[in-house]
Amino acid sequence: MILAVSIVIAVIFGSGAFLILQRDLLRLIVGILLISNASILFVMASGLSRGKAPIYPLDGASVSDPLVQAMALTALVIGSSTAALLLALVYRLYVSHRSIDIEDLSTAEMEAADALERVNVTEFDRGFRDEPVQEEQADERELEKEEPR
Amino acid sequence: MRPPSEITCGSPGRIQRSERPNQRRFTVEHPINGALLTLAPLLVALASAPAAVFAGWIRTRFAAPVGAAFALLAAVTTLVVYLRGGGEVNVAWAPTWDLRLHFALDGLAALYALLATGVGFLVLAYSSRYLPLHLEHGGRDPSEGNRFYGFMLLFMGSMVGLAMAQDLILIFVFWDLTAVASYYLIGYDRHDANSRASALMALLVTGVTAVLLLIGALMFYAAYRTYSVPELAGLVRPGPLLNTAGLLIAIAALAKSAQVPLHFWLPRAMAAPTPVSAYLHSAAMVAAGVLLLGRVYPLLQESELLLNVLLGVGLLSMAVGGVLALTRDVLKQLLAYSTISQYGYVVFLYGLGGKYGAVGASFYVIAHALAKSALFLTAGAVSQATGEDRLSRMGGLRKPLPVLAAASGAAAAGLAALPLTIGFFKDELFFEAALQRGPVFAGLAVAGAALTIAYAWRFWSGIFLGTPRDGAHGVPAALVWPVAVLGILVLVGGVFVEPFAVLARSAGAAYYPGPVESVKPAYHLDLRPENLMALATFGLGALLVVSRRAWVGAAWGAARIGEKVGPEKLYEVGIIELNRFSDRVHSYEVRDLRSRIASILLPAGVLVGLAILATPNVDVYRVGSVAWQDAPLLLALVAVAVSAIAATFTRRHVTLALVLSSAGYVLAAVYAFFGAPDVALVAVLIETVVTLLFLATLKLVPYKILHRQARLPLQRRGRKIATSAIAGAGAFAVAWGTLSQPAAERSVSQDLVELTPEAHAKDVVTATLADFRGLDTLGEITVVALVLLGVATLLRKGRLR
Repeated sequence: MILAVSIVIAVIFGSGAFLILQRDLLRLIVGILLISNASILFVMASGLSRGKAPIYPLDGASVSDPLVQAMALTALVIGSSTAALLLALVYRLYVSHRSIDIEDLSTAEMEAADALERVNVTEFDRGFRDEPVQEEQADERELEKEEPR
Repeated sequence: MRPPSEITCGSPGRIQRSERPNQRRFTVEHPINGALLTLAPLLVALASAPAAVFAGWIRTRFAAPVGAAFALLAAVTTLVVYLRGGGEVNVAWAPTWDLRLHFALDGLAALYALLATGVGFLVLAYSSRYLPLHLEHGGRDPSEGNRFYGFMLLFMGSMVGLAMAQDLILIFVFWDLTAVASYYLIGYDRHDANSRASALMALLVTGVTAVLLLIGALMFYAAYRTYSVPELAGLVRPGPLLNTAGLLIAIAALAKSAQVPLHFWLPRAMAAPTPVSAYLHSAAMVAAGVLLLGRVYPLLQESELLLNVLLGVGLLSMAVGGVLALTRDVLKQLLAYSTISQYGYVVFLYGLGGKYGAVGASFYVIAHALAKSALFLTAGAVSQATGEDRLSRMGGLRKPLPVLAAASGAAAAGLAALPLTIGFFKDELFFEAALQRGPVFAGLAVAGAALTIAYAWRFWSGIFLGTPRDGAHGVPAALVWPVAVLGILVLVGGVFVEPFAVLARSAGAAYYPGPVESVKPAYHLDLRPENLMALATFGLGALLVVSRRAWVGAAWGAARIGEKVGPEKLYEVGIIELNRFSDRVHSYEVRDLRSRIASILLPAGVLVGLAILATPNVDVYRVGSVAWQDAPLLLALVAVAVSAIAATFTRRHVTLALVLSSAGYVLAAVYAFFGAPDVALVAVLIETVVTLLFLATLKLVPYKILHRQARLPLQRRGRKIATSAIAGAGAFAVAWGTLSQPAAERSVSQDLVELTPEAHAKDVVTATLADFRGLDTLGEITVVALVLLGVATLLRKGRLR
């Protein structure tokens, strides 16, 4: 039984990992969900006892471990919330980039970073050319001018 | 273990190996008063930094006098408490970890505390005049001096703490405090890249090795369940543990004392303002190393190997430092290499062992501290006078600076161990200790001492003798009188040696197990071997001075080789390569989303893999029994696995959503078979919600885009399959290993089951979620609420566009 559960956990985890490696963001989410399922199964399987449901009245027979069940419940709810957030993010990315392909997004990201860097460099250059102290003084003067109005 | 609240005070005497320290401790009538008295030097020293910074905050020029006054007060307090017989305070700090605040003012502590506070006072008095000049020279605001005095006094306070600490963890704390203070002091000229690099080098070399000290302490603790050095001294036995842990601690000490091969940070630390260098070399940073060696000497001397290591390292440092000091042109560089060489003697003395070695090491530290701080302050003063810092551009300064010339002449003579200076006795003890070990060591000692004479003469004669140069002007009195005081002390020690010898003996008694009372440095006007050795040293030293032309080329060659292949080069290459590696990882990590995720998951996976390899894996894995009623569960598990695999083959998104939800629903059935109806019900609900969400997303994204994704050919198929296979194998190993070894102890689950009726519930899981672990559920609800907010924001923004 231990071996069987372990193999199933491994298969789900591996399938999830394979899906995470895809370019399609939706497949990536499916991969994440599968991995979260694998971990919940792992938590459930690590219960110390198996038996009847832990609901009173107990008739003396062994009950299944309630602690792991509580944890699995928490994990399930959090997992579904994460999935909702991820799906909303995918939709948002589609709206802004018209694509759900991770390669397209990477390209866009790099272009944006380059553009940002160019802006920073030019500002940096400008800062070096002008005397910053004078600029501050000019600002102060302007402020003084504005204040009486 | 002692009760945690106990405060004990007593007069620390010699610590016998066989004697447990609590036997010689007695409780005085007012333990708190006694403890306060013992701790007074430390408290004053630690209070000085905030006091000086506060004074400087009120008015900049107050910082230096207040700081100097506090240093003097700390010195006086130390002396008074020491003369009253010292004392010991030992209270619990973190009892569950066996950490104790264990301070004692024994001879060793008194020696180093007096040096730190006394030299600290003189250096601060000197700084009060030097630092404004230094700041003015750099065009900086005088208020920056506050930072200087603050860190200088923090340095002093942590040195006093380090001197008094008897607990290895406490030692480590103060040890690192000195490293932090030195970092800021060496990098005080922070606008200068060289200064910053030097500070970083000092911090890395002494900070990384400080971790070795911690590891050594933990190793001792693991074996003997105590961090206390006096207690450990009675417990350690020679063996591999002592060799390893002792070596780790010794490496930390040797790196701090700038011993070869970890010496290269010290000459670089000359980027600091001169008073810092003077302090660093004579009474603080570098002295901390030999202080630690003295403190743990009762442990080290159990191991022949460790003593031999000290001998070798000391000898090497004497040679390397001495030869390089003869080649340097920059004043402070010369002095730095001389410091390396001088602390080499001290380490060598520790290695020689015996009562002469033990007392000699402490005496050497006193004599060296007086002479070396005077020489450093001289270097700072003549640099101020001439605006130069190189020996080759100086000369003839005895005319404009007669007092300085005389005072530093006395200090240089003290360093060179001429008669009528305190230095003569340091070499007397040195020779005696070497003689005890044999003629070879005696010969090496003579050679080392001759080198000292050569570079002491080179320093002094290069500055003050020769043809006078133009442009030299006088210096303020505050730059001269601290040097004069130190010079006079060197001469006084040459006549009345007993006070210094008493201090050195009581320091030696703190760590040397045998009697040391017979070690009495004095003048003997006869032809005993020590005197002959001294004469030989003078002759050899004079020969070295006059024959400089003959050997200077060889010395330069040795220095060149050291620069090319020495440890400093190694450090530089190491730092550059580390930087490059870090840059590469960083640029890969920030490239895009996928590499960012990979840079988290890959190391995590590697760590898990290493953990699997590291844990024992024979007879651990169990197959587990399968009963006939498990058949539906097994079937369901197979169905889950099949749907998971099917998800990897599915092209169309709708099918994918359905496959995913089928896996989820079957998993719900699995949970039901596990005897968990609550989980099963929630899983069904969750699976429904997720499927609906998924389908809704598919509806929002146009079919064209989905279709393009679905038809995309799979790139680098083999690599992806292999990666996921490895990931699955890792998960398999972790899962199987964990499930095979359930916890043996009584589980908290039984409590949960038994407590449920008290919570007026029938379902244990519900009671757990709503009651026993209610906070967890609250957190979970918060997550859901935040996610809802996020989703709402994302969707709204999307539509508004």
